[in-house]
This record gives sequence, C-alpha cells and structure tokens, in this order.
Amino acid sequence: MNVRARIITAGVGAITGAALALGLLWLTTSGPRAAREDASSNLTLSGTLATREAAGFARADRIRPLRFPRDHGPHPAFRNEWWYFTGNLQSGDGRRFGYELSLFRFALRPPPHPARHSQWATDHVYMAHFAVTNAAGKHFHFFERFARNAVGLAGAQAAPFRVWVEDWSVEADTTNGFPWRLRAAADGLELTLELTAVKPIVLQGDRGLSQKSAEPGNASYYYSITRLDSRGTLLLNGERLQVAGQSWMDREWGTSALSEAQQGWDWFALQLADGHDLMFYQLRRKDGSIDPHSAGALVDPRGRITRLGPQDVGVEVLEVWHSPRGGRYPARWRLTVEPLNMTLEVAPVLADQELDVSIRYWEGAVDVGGRRNGETLGGRGYVELTGYGTGGDE
Amino acid sequence: MRALVRRASWRHLWRHPWQMVLAILGVALGVAVAVAVDLANTSAERAFRLSMANLAGEATHQIIGGATGVDERLYTRLRIDAGLRASAPVVEAYGKSGDETLHVLGVDIFAEQSIRGHLNGISEVALQRLLSHPNTVLMADLTARRLGLAPGGRFTLRLGGRRTEVELTGVLATSARTAAALDGLVTTDIATAQELAGVVGRLSWIDLVLPEGEQGKDLRRRVERLLPPEVTLVAAAARTEAMTQMTRAFHINLTAMSLLALLVGVFLIYNTMTFAVLQRRGLIGTLRVLGVTRAEIFRVVLGEAVLIGVVGTVLGIVIGIVLGQGLVRLVTRTIDDLYFALTVGSLLLTPAPLIKGSLMGLAATLLAALAPAMEAATTVPRTALTRSELERRVRSLAPRLALLGALLALGALVILLLPTRDLVTGFVSLFMLILGMTLIAPAVVAGVTHLLAPVAGRLFGIQARLAIRGIAASLSRTGVAIAALMLAVSTTVGVGVMVSSFRSTVAVWLDATLRADIYISAPSLRSSRTASQLDPQIVQHVRAVPGIEAIASGRSVTVESGHGLTEVFALERPPGRGPRYLLRAGDPAAVWRAFGANEAVLVSEPYAYRHGIGIGDRVRLRTDDGERTFPVAGVYYDYESGPGVVLMNRELYERHYRDRAIGALGLYLRPDAAMDEVMAALRAALGGGQEVLIRSNREIRQASLEIFDRTFTITNVLRLLSILVAFIGILSALMALQLERAKELAILRATGFTPAQVTGLVTVQTGFMGLVAGVLAVPVGLVMSLILIHVINRRAFGWSMQTLVPADVLIQAVLLALLAALIAGLYPGWRMARTRPAAALREE
Amino acid sequence: MESENIVVSLRGLSRSYREGEQTRVVLDHLDLDIARGECVALLGRSGSGKSTLLNLISGIDLPTAGTIRVDGVELTALNERERTLFRRRHVGFVYQFFNLIPTLTVEENLLLPLELNRRDKGAARRTAIALLEEIGLGDRRTAFPDQLSGGEQQRVAIARALVHDPLLVLADEPTGNLDADTGRHVLALLDRLTRQAGKTLIVVTHSKAVAGLADQVLTLANGHIAAQAREVAW
Repeated sequence: MNVRARIITAGVGAITGAALALGLLWLTTSGPRAAREDASSNLTLSGTLATREAAGFARADRIRPLRFPRDHGPHPAFRNEWWYFTGNLQSGDGRRFGYELSLFRFALRPPPHPARHSQWATDHVYMAHFAVTNAAGKHFHFFERFARNAVGLAGAQAAPFRVWVEDWSVEADTTNGFPWRLRAAADGLELTLELTAVKPIVLQGDRGLSQKSAEPGNASYYYSITRLDSRGTLLLNGERLQVAGQSWMDREWGTSALSEAQQGWDWFALQLADGHDLMFYQLRRKDGSIDPHSAGALVDPRGRITRLGPQDVGVEVLEVWHSPRGGRYPARWRLTVEPLNMTLEVAPVLADQELDVSIRYWEGAVDVGGRRNGETLGGRGYVELTGYGTGGDE
Repeated sequence: MRALVRRASWRHLWRHPWQMVLAILGVALGVAVAVAVDLANTSAERAFRLSMANLAGEATHQIIGGATGVDERLYTRLRIDAGLRASAPVVEAYGKSGDETLHVLGVDIFAEQSIRGHLNGISEVALQRLLSHPNTVLMADLTARRLGLAPGGRFTLRLGGRRTEVELTGVLATSARTAAALDGLVTTDIATAQELAGVVGRLSWIDLVLPEGEQGKDLRRRVERLLPPEVTLVAAAARTEAMTQMTRAFHINLTAMSLLALLVGVFLIYNTMTFAVLQRRGLIGTLRVLGVTRAEIFRVVLGEAVLIGVVGTVLGIVIGIVLGQGLVRLVTRTIDDLYFALTVGSLLLTPAPLIKGSLMGLAATLLAALAPAMEAATTVPRTALTRSELERRVRSLAPRLALLGALLALGALVILLLPTRDLVTGFVSLFMLILGMTLIAPAVVAGVTHLLAPVAGRLFGIQARLAIRGIAASLSRTGVAIAALMLAVSTTVGVGVMVSSFRSTVAVWLDATLRADIYISAPSLRSSRTASQLDPQIVQHVRAVPGIEAIASGRSVTVESGHGLTEVFALERPPGRGPRYLLRAGDPAAVWRAFGANEAVLVSEPYAYRHGIGIGDRVRLRTDDGERTFPVAGVYYDYESGPGVVLMNRELYERHYRDRAIGALGLYLRPDAAMDEVMAALRAALGGGQEVLIRSNREIRQASLEIFDRTFTITNVLRLLSILVAFIGILSALMALQLERAKELAILRATGFTPAQVTGLVTVQTGFMGLVAGVLAVPVGLVMSLILIHVINRRAFGWSMQTLVPADVLIQAVLLALLAALIAGLYPGWRMARTRPAAALREE
Repeated sequence: MESENIVVSLRGLSRSYREGEQTRVVLDHLDLDIARGECVALLGRSGSGKSTLLNLISGIDLPTAGTIRVDGVELTALNERERTLFRRRHVGFVYQFFNLIPTLTVEENLLLPLELNRRDKGAARRTAIALLEEIGLGDRRTAFPDQLSGGEQQRVAIARALVHDPLLVLADEPTGNLDADTGRHVLALLDRLTRQAGKTLIVVTHSKAVAGLADQVLTLANGHIAAQAREVAW
C-alpha cells in the first residue's frame, strides 16, 4: 500500500490512480507477467474487490485446446490478458538495442455486461508499456498508456491478428500468417518492426495451462513464440536506424493466479546462439523460499520442448542493483540447469531498465554467456523482475 | 481644521439625526444597487469564464462540429492516424435536478490527464465504477451538499425530456479557487453522457493542446488536413471570448440601471447637504464673523459629506453584497433564458466591484456636496444674507440651469443621431437627456407655481395660495426634491413603457407566429449545444393520432464557429400552413417562394441587426460540407433568441446537414377535430416514452410570455430600488423643508391657523410637489422610453418594437409621485401641527 | 498722520448697493478717525448705514470707494482671506441677537476665538474661565446658549468678543433685544470690560443711554456723519 500512497502523494493525478487500480487488480490475481509490488494481507479495496469479483469470470481451471489464429485474439471472459513482445536488436553500425512492447487487457467487471447505447461504453481497458534500451547510449526509455476498448481506441482481434492501444500496435497483414507488423512511437522515439516466427508456437505448462499456485483456477493459459525474426527501423534522437534481431512473444490470459504467500517473480527469456531458447520463471515466496510452481522450458532449434521444474534450475544472484527510485534488484545471475548440463551467466546490458509506471518493475535486455556440455555458449535475452520495487515486506 | 468649528458643525447634524440617517441611507442604497449589480455581473461573467477555463483546461484549441457536434469517429482518427496524444473528447449537456441546472460533462478519463485536472483526488474505485457502470456521475462537493447527496446516493437527472436515475459515485473536493468553476458541474464518463443526453455517436467538441511556435503550426496543419468539412479548429480563448461577448450588452444594460439608482442617490446627498448648509447659514455667518475663513468652512462641510459618504458607502457595500446574492440568481436566469445555459452557484466576492462601488459612493457624495459646500463658503459673514435673498438668487439661477439642461438635452439628441451602434454611447446620451431634463425642472416648478398660485388662491383661498407660493419661495430645496422625485418616477415611466411596449409587441408576434393548434416539444434548456430532439418514434406515434390535418416540424441547432454561435432553425411547413412569420423586410410572396424553393434563408431581426445583414446579402454558415453562404430573402421579427436565428427550409437544411432529428412539432387540427380529444389521444399515444411537452397554442403563448416576464424581473427590481432611493430623497427633503419652516408655520399658528389647517397646508404643499414631479415625469419618462425602445434595446439586442403607451403606467407614475410626496409630508405635517407656536417663535 | 493713537481711519469711504435699476448710496465719502481706547456711539435711523459701516470696518464688506485703515493696516488692500484672518485676530463682535454658536457650550463659545487664534489650550481655558467668572457665569460653563436668558447670552457674547484680546470691539445694538434693566447691566459690563482692557469700542445704537457712555457720538444720515458730539482735537 505504501507504493500507492507514495505515488499519490507524489502528485500523480487521479488518472494514474485509475490505472493503478487496474494495475492492483491485476497484480493480485494474475500470472508471472504481472508486476507485483506488495502482497501484504491488508490489501487494498481493489484487491478484495478483485477477489470477490473473480466470481463472474471464466477460470483457467482445465486444459482447453488452443487453436490459432483464434487464440491470438482476445478472451474477454477472462479477467486479464496480455500480448508481450520483447526483443534484442542491432543496428547496421553494430549498436545494440532492446525493446519491450506489452499490451494488456483488463476486464472492468465480470459478465454479464449491461447493454449500452454508446459506443464508448466498455468493460475492458487496455494498458500498454513501450520501452527501448539503448545499450550504447546507456539510456532506457519507457512509456505507458491506457485506452478503453471502445470506438477503435484499443482492442484485439484474432483474424487478421491485431492488438493495439491507439497507435501502438502489432498486426498481421493477412488472416493467417506472418509477418506481423509491430509499431510503437512516443516522444520522438519510433519503432517499426516486421516479425516473422522462425519457430512454432510453444504451449507452456501442461498443454498451455500454466498453474501458478495451488488453488484450482489460479492459473493461466500460456503460450509463447520464442523466436521471431525482426527487422525494421528505429527512430531515435532524430536518427533513423535500420535494425534487426530476434523477438520473443508471450501470450497469457486468466482470471487469478498468485496466492497470498507469493511475493514476486524473476522471469528469464533467453535466446541462445546455438538456436535453443530457454524460458524459466521463479516464483518467490514471502518467506524467501522458492515456490514449487516455478517452471520453465527449453525449446530446441526445431521447436521441440524440454519442460523444466523448480528443481531443475538453480538461480544464483551474483550482483545487486539499487534502484534510485527505491528497492534492491538482483542484477547478475548464474543459472544452473543440471538436467541439460548447462550453466549460464546472465547480465543486464544496462543496470537501470526499471519502468517507473503505474506499477514499478524491471524489464530489461540481458547478455548471456556460459557453457553447455563443456562448450561455450552465448546469447541474448530479456529478464523481468517484480516485487523488488519497494520496501514492501523486505 | 479647528476642532471647535468642526464640533459646532457636527453637533448641528447630531441634533437632526433623521436628516443624516436619510442621507446615509440614500448613499447606501445607491451604492448598494451599483455594487450588487456589479457583483452579480462579475460573478456571472467570472463563473462563466472560470467554468470555460476549467472546461478548456490546458486545451489551446478545440475542434467544434456542425449542427449536432462532432462525429465521435473523428477522435479515434486523430488519436490513431495522427497520433495526437494531447487531445480529449467532450460531451456536454445541461440538465436539471429539481430546480438546479446542472452542467453535464462527459469525458474519457484516459484522455483527461493532458487536459483537465479536476478528476484528481477521485478514488480509483469510483473511477472504475464510473467507467464500467452506466448512469454513474461525479460532482463537486458543494453541489452535492446543496442537492443533499452523499456518495452512493441516487437522484433523478432530467435531460432533454429524459428522466434518468443516476448514482453519485464520488465527489470532487473543491477549494475556494475551484469552487466557482466546478460548482454545478456533473462529470461523468463520456459513454454515460452520450446516453443521458441522447447524443450517441456525437461529441460536443474535442480538446487539443497544440504547442506554440512552428511545431504547433505544423501540427495544426496536420490536424486540419484530417478534419472533415463539417468541423473546424478554433482557438479555445477566442471561443470563450466570443461567448462572453454575447452577453456584453446585457451586462451593460444592468450597469446602466444600477447607475441610475446611484444618480438618484447623488440628488439625495445634494439635497441633504444643501439643506444642512442653508439651515446653518446663521451659524456659518457667525463663524465667518469670528474669523473662520471660507476655505475652512468649505472643508468642514465637505468633511461632513465625506463622513456621510464613508458611512453610507460602507453600509451600501454590505447591503450590496446581500442584495447581490439575490441578483446573481436573476442575472443567471436571464442569461439562461436569453443566451446560453449558465450555472452560477453563488456570489463571487471579488475586490474590484467593492472598490469601484466605494469610489463611486465617495465620488458621488463629494460631487453632490460640492455645490452646497461652495454655497456655505460664500455665505457672507453675519446674517447679512437673508433667506429671501438666497431664494431670489436660486430663482435667478433657475433659468440658467434650465438653459444648461436644454443644452445637455440637445447634445444628447445630437449624440443619438450619430450613426453608431455603440450601446455605451446610447446610454451616455440617455443620461445626458435625463440630467438635462432634471436641470430644467426647477425653472418649470418656478413657472408653474407662479402661474398656479393666483389660480389656487382664487379657487381654494389664501391657504392654497400660501402653500403653493411656499414652494417657489424655497425653490433651492423644493426644486431639487421635485427633480429627484421626477427623475425616479420618470425612470419607472420610461422602463415601464419600454417593458409594456416590448411585451405587447411580443404578444402580437406570438399571436401571428403561433399558428398551429398543438405543439409537441422535448423540454430543453435554451441553447445548450446539444439541442433537444424528439425520439423518432414520437413523430410516428403523432402521425397516427386521428384529427390531425397537417404537421409542421422544427429543429433548432446551434452552429458554432470561432466567432460565436448561430442558431439555425430548420422549418418544415406543410403546404399552405406553417408559422406566419411577420416580415420586417421583404415582400412576403417573394420571400416565401424563395424560402420554399430552397433558394434562400430568412434571418431574424436581431441577427440582421447584429451582423448588418439585409435582403440580398448572404449569411455564412458552417455546414456539414464546410462553410457555405446562403442568400437572405427576408428579415423576420423574432423575440426569442438574443443572438438571432437563421431560418432555413427543412429540405435545404437536410441538404447541408446530416441531421434528421426533429426538435418540435406543430400540429394543425382538422376543423371538425376537438382539441381536448386530440390532446388526450396524443397523451395516450406518447405516454411512457420520452417525456415531451404537449401544449396547446394558448399554453405555449402563455409560457412564452412567462419567460418574457421572467427576463424583466431584474429590470423591475432595479426600478423599484431606484424609486425607494427617490422616496427616501423626497422624504428627507420634505421633512427638512417643513421643519425649517417651523417659524413661518408658528407665525401662521399665532395668526390663528388651527393645527389641522397647518397640517393641511403642509399636505397641500407636499402633495403639490409630488404632483408636479409626477406630471413632469410623464414626458421625461416617455422620452426615456423612446430612447430605450429605439436606441438602447435596438443596439443591445437588435429588437424593434411597437411603442405602446399604456395609460396605467402613466397614471401609476403620477400617483406614485403623489403618494410618495404625501407620505413624506405626513411626519412634518404632524409635527408642525403639534408644535407650540410660542416655542417656535422664540427660536431664531 | 496724527499718531499711532489712531486705530480706525476712514478716508473718502463710500458704499452703494445696486437694487435693480437703482443705486442706493448708503455711505458717501466718509472721513473718520477713531483713537485707541475710545468708545464711539453710532446713531442713525434704520437703513442709515450703521451696520454697513461696522461691516466695512471689520472687513466683512468692502467699500465702493475710499480706504479703511485699522491699526495701520489698509483693509481695502487685503484679499478676502487676509481680511478674515485680520478680523479673527483683531476684532470682536457683539450683536443684537447675540449670535452665540448654539451647538457649542458657553465655555466652548469663549474658546472658539482663542482656538482660531491658535492660543495654547491650557492658557485658553484659564482665560475663558476667568472671563466667565468675571461676567458672573462661572457656573454655567457647560450650558448651551439656549439654556441661558437673553441677558446672560449677551454677557457671554461680550466675553467672547473680548476673550482673544482684540484691538477693536464692534457692537451692533447690544441691548436692542433686552429689557431695559438687563440692557443697562449688559451695557455697563461692556463698557467696563472694554475700558478696563483699553479696547476701542464702536457701538451702533438707538439708545440714549448707550450714547451717554460714549466718548464720541456720531450720527449717520444720508451717507454722512451728521453730528459729532465732541470734536477730537489733539
């Protein structure tokens, strides 16, 4: 709660307050992609409201067959949903960049929804975060915006695929396939990418059902495309750069996920030079222990999956970083994946890749170095850290 | 200044407290009226500006739409295609809860942060509810308190004929700074606002923040390229200014009325001070003998006036503030009736009107006391100058004053003939004329008494002659008292004749215009930009009702441009029927042929006057296809809209505006149909749906006249106030006069007059003064009414009207003057009769 | 001329009034000298110019022609304000109708000339009280004029005329409004106080009794001094 208090006393307007309400709603109940500030039991009204109102929503309580392109589109019966794009890019002159464009949907109230005349009436609000890491320039840009799922201001659709919050969007040219166009611009910064999947869709968890805590329904439907060839232009400081690299998409929807005891998570999405991609999230409990629902997967160059459980991956923090906005983040890791005989060192390309938006969290480009079966192995990736941003229970 | 000189002078005033109290009251009332009107004006204007500023927020520009606002899809295009982040959609409407007018503002909370700040501090729970639940609203804490609502409470909001039960989801905390801007404001989600106002799909306007300089101009060009023809981009400040200008004439009128009250107050002060000086001429003469200089005397008298002025002014400001509370409501209501919906919660105490009022009060007092003070200073030492000599001097002065007055009046006429439309110039000449007439009054009084005294003597005996001659004998006071009373009464004549001329003109106009038997309309507040409309099914239901021969329809929309608002009235006339507008200009046959053939439009008289437009000229209107000009075929009389109306055939309207809604229906019954039955059938057919007004010809006429009368309430209030001031003036003048004549009356008593005869004498005298004032007030008032009708009203509103002089207004005026004078004479008469002659005789 | 003993000196003094078409000559080339400490009685019918003469000597009125010198100051050369200030300092007035300030108490009436002459407040009070005692009204200090009898009022008026130690006391019918007895008392008081203080006194009167007290009796008629009871010859 002190985060919220701080934000409000810092004079942030009610609009941000509204966003925060939505954010709080989502963080208390959603999966690993959600930022989580604080899970103390005296949770906000929004929190209790959220729990109570979970009643009317559909739950991720069983395996449902996922079909595409249908499931690229929105699932309004569930409370939360997101389309998460991160990627590492390089300009023609060799400069290194990272980007994040994540679009979130939040339901304002469970169905049934009242019939309304106005097109502006809505039951869903979209939030989007856009961030660019300029490694060489040692600068991290981030932006946030909200829009209602009405009058074409924000929304999502399956065919042709499109998800957008105003003029930030990811969309397919044709009904069924790649390339997808990603576009986001703010404050003189503009990113346009063409994304083409080079690996098939990976269903995370059990055929796409990803259990986040013990209670049935505290889960999400979760799939990824771990490698998307990306090329396009980045307009930065008045300079238009040709950029190319690899992106990663995560898609998740659900109604509730975390339990009271869970504190936050560390999430790794690493694309290795040998064509393997590793995803692993570690749920941290308030008592400092690792939650048994932590999980991950290794995807080989042809898209075959090796599932990983909490016992399979060891995460050792090698360094910490103190956020100037408060909080202490892990800043370098050693990941030991024993079943695969793999040891990786993961280091942020920039220490400060914290998004100070409605919900403060760290989401940044990383470099990967290490060995697998004795051979050196490089790579790049993205890491998300939540639950560190503030004093909280620490 | 010598303390004893001052004390000697002051003790005199203290010994005549009533005189001083009345003088103070006169100043106080004059100042009070001026301050109250100024405060009410300022409050209305500031509330308007504040609410406009608050509404506009950070917006530098606004995209305003055609007849029915802006298509909501434009906003999405701006946001997505142009990536225009600093923009916000607004749906505005005016509704009512009980008697309270509420300003409903629908916003998109996600767009608000770059424009307006007033949602700060609303809890996120409330905002979420606002967003996701229909019929949920926010309002300022003080408005909620006034309506007796707490968060979570529900109330009925009436908007365009719809009654909706809405929930107060949260309250906006106001500070002293924001109270005026937020009071009366109901903020809601844009979806709710569209639904409440029945304007789904439309926005009232779109706010933009465009940066200054080249970048802003670039952006502006980019935005303008995106705009469809029916919308336009205007600067927010220019828009506010244009709206504010519309009510300027109205505010000037009120100010002029209030100055009239102050002017009467000036006479009162002059009267009191002159009397105080004359009464003390012996004292002053003795002081002069003792070696008190003229300058010292002058300063003493002026000092007293200043004190009266200060006390009166302070009192006046206090009364003015109280009075202002009531006036601000009247002013707001009039603006509501004539111009646009305005919500003003309370009187705004700004320092400017108070300072202005104080300065005016003091300046008026000093000005009024100047002549008496000079009179005092020139008093010859000792009692060298007898009373009769003074009166002789005044009498010889009277013709010169009259000459000056005649010159002033002549000057006023010259100014009136100047080819200008300036309202202030009009008022200047009006005031000059009034002042001129007032200066002539003493000479007329002298002449009349001179002529009448012998006649009265012959008819009613020596007593009457004595009484009337007494008036001429003390012309220095009676002249002024009569002039002041005449001034006040002539004002009532002038304003009364103007109002009744206006009213009868409107009544005649209504009779001619209202031709249909039954009218159906959606209840609305005037000129709210989302004009009220009838649900389409209502039109269908009406058509099904038997007994109706023909139906005319009207649709009133307000087309806005950066230069202000234009009301366009789209009229569909059934063949051979329809309202018969009286034409001010144009041959009816040709006009209606051109109108029916969609070749031309008509403009109302105020519109023609305001824009200098006549037959053959073209009016420029923003249509859904961009700006278009339309030839004007005729000018018609209209007394409904202050800013004026452009009348357009329905077909022509539909050609240029993509609006198919209907605002009102006029039903023409078959000759054999019974009005009651049709009304009943209509009520039955239309029950249950949108709340509509079904009114007969007679009812609508009555309702229109009621609105008219309401508009003039404030005028009547000001008129009564200035009469009150004048009454106090005549009371104090007469009391002073009669008390001063104590000795003369005592001599009469000694000579054998009975107390009753003395009372009679005083009564005849005061009554005669009142009568003279009343009779003089009639021509002066008539001249004033002519100026009000043909110059002031025309320049202020562009309305022309038939001059109608109702006998009752004139008779009332004379009776009023007579009555005021007689009442004022009661006390002196009573007192004189009671005085023992011996005591009075002994006094020097 | 003769000496500094001459207080009032009139030369070729004329005063006429316009009344409509006609001009009425009130004073016609009058020459007159009055010595310091002298008591002069002015007699004449109503309208013979007695009051006009007093007004001229006190600077209230201005002559049509001629000069007025009082204590060497040429009044005719002064402007209105200077004449007022001169009067304030050097002249005391007593009137038939007393002309006390009705809104000031007896003591305040006495203090007024002193205040106008900017006398020290304490001293002024002492002077006023002493003088009131002397005229036998020490106990009526706080009374207002209308609470006094005519005689008492005139006594106060005499005191007021003398209180600021003027050069000249001008009295216009001081006993005219009093009964014979009271008049005698008042006259005696006037005479006593002026002589005692060595003031010059000019009295306009009809009363032989008053004239009897005078050092010089002048009769005004047709604008001229018709008779002088005693020649002044030094």
